[in-house]
Amino acid sequence: MPSYAELMGIFGFKSKNAAFKLAKRLQEEGVLSKDPSGKLIPGNLFNAVRVLGTVEAGWPSPAEEELSDTLSLEEWLIGNKEATYMLKVKGDSMIEAGIMPGDVVLVERKREAKDGDIVIAEVDNDWTMKYFKKTGSRIYLLAANKRYRPIVPKEELKIAAIVKAVIRKY
Amino acid sequence: MPYDAPLSIRSFPRAILHIDGDAFFASCEQARDPRLKGKPVITGKERGIAASMSYEAKARGVTRGMRLFEIKKLIPEAVILPSDYETYSLLSHRFYTIVRRYTPDVEEYGIDECFADITGLRRSFRTSYRGIADAIRKELENDLGFSFSIGLAPTKVLAKVGSKWKKPDGLTAIPGREIQNFLKNLPAEKIWGIGPQTSALLLKLGIFTALQFAKKPEEWVKRYFTKPHHEIWHELNGRSVLPVNTESQAKHYSIQKVKTFTPPSSDPRFIFAQLSKNIENACIRARRYKVAPRRCAFFLRTQEFRDYGIEVRLSHPTAFAHEIIRAAENVFPEVFRNEVLYRSTGVVLYNMDSDEITQPDLFGSSISIEKYTRLYKSVDHIKTRYGKHTLYLGSSYLAHRFSQHEGERGDVPERKQHLLKGESKRRRLSIPMLMGFENI
Repeated sequence: MPSYAELMGIFGFKSKNAAFKLAKRLQEEGVLSKDPSGKLIPGNLFNAVRVLGTVEAGWPSPAEEELSDTLSLEEWLIGNKEATYMLKVKGDSMIEAGIMPGDVVLVERKREAKDGDIVIAEVDNDWTMKYFKKTGSRIYLLAANKRYRPIVPKEELKIAAIVKAVIRKY
Repeated sequence: MPYDAPLSIRSFPRAILHIDGDAFFASCEQARDPRLKGKPVITGKERGIAASMSYEAKARGVTRGMRLFEIKKLIPEAVILPSDYETYSLLSHRFYTIVRRYTPDVEEYGIDECFADITGLRRSFRTSYRGIADAIRKELENDLGFSFSIGLAPTKVLAKVGSKWKKPDGLTAIPGREIQNFLKNLPAEKIWGIGPQTSALLLKLGIFTALQFAKKPEEWVKRYFTKPHHEIWHELNGRSVLPVNTESQAKHYSIQKVKTFTPPSSDPRFIFAQLSKNIENACIRARRYKVAPRRCAFFLRTQEFRDYGIEVRLSHPTAFAHEIIRAAENVFPEVFRNEVLYRSTGVVLYNMDSDEITQPDLFGSSISIEKYTRLYKSVDHIKTRYGKHTLYLGSSYLAHRFSQHEGERGDVPERKQHLLKGESKRRRLSIPMLMGFENI
């Protein structure tokens, strides 16, 4: 797109102000637009053309366009990357939730949990992995294993992390 | 003018943060293992001295560099761990990334510290500079699981004063108007960049505190000092002259590799192999950063902690290990003494050139340099692919044949003992592992 000075030349204006007014009018009509640095760019009347990668001949391949809409396994499993850690499971208290001894869980450090989250928490000086349950003001931890009873914290419940995924490699 | 009149009237002409991990290595260990919380934790087992100690250990008198047997006498129940640099590096990387959520202008100054320029960001975050610093501090603590101390000031030198002011878990803001309050009782030698030599000179000139130095007229500073200290003087007065350098791991002024081995040895072939291995590792690093040293120094450290070193000027800048090892071989007899027990060897490469412009000397032909460039490229390629120690020069053989440490100091970090399926001794997942959760 031409600059204001170039517009002056094209239209034979004597001042930049005139060029500015013309450009402003065109912007109101949506023919032109401005980029963040104030330079003139085509308005959205000109339809955007998708760049599909270079193709010598024949039809453009849809492959490259589609790839930009995909996630890597890591992006899919991990939300806050800097707060994510691995933990190797030893116990069987979450066995009915599909978390077996020997599995690796991906956990995200967080101090607060929502009802239904699987949490890594310290209850009365003991670390555990359980469902976090909250009904009203009542908080308790629930195992996914009938052999364990729900834990109601007597003194303190400290949440260290929330389980985000479980990984088992065969 | 009264002694504590303001040095500057503007609060934050620039807003610079210095962010410093509190007892970084020991904190990394405590954050991933709940068994270590609240206990005196010391890292550096493999070196035989304390590299980092938790605040519980500091409170009981452990200092950096203290020998481990002294620590055991002082605190019999101390937890002494081998350094797990892999995990520390992963967490250090996360540390920088979290700070970059707020500003792209981050200087990675050390594994546990960085500078960040947040000038002009108050509007974007709808809070004061202090508010931004506090948000960063909270986010670091939440995501990494341990605390950081932050200094906020108009200059880097003052930000460094701030981060040390209240530690651990401190946030200290030094606006221009209040600089004098922070400097008036601060000994000049505590200022970043003022070493023992300079502080001795300052004392001779009757300067004891940082404020006395800051208040001196510019002519006086120019007369007695050179550019670096002149810059510090400006920075102490609240005028930012040292920019936050955003190039990661900016320039390599020198590369150093020192390795201790146990038990100590007096065998010249074994000791030279150790030195040779260090040279190879230093050269890998130099090639990675595309630099080549013009000079290097080699040293041997005896069991009594005496260093014997020698400096060598290379005929041309080179990052080819075999050339530097040849230089070392020539001078080794000058440093090595029979019947002496040595505990470590080291090499320092310095006076760096870009490896692009390395000119062949009169007697070296550029063809052989071409050839070696290609050779080392393949060597580096093999090493990244199959591991650092798959390929090494014969001169380093004896150092590779035995593990670096026999006995207790050879302990491996716990993470390396818990390999997941598909992990190997050489490559592990790049996500830190929490450990010590016995019932989970």
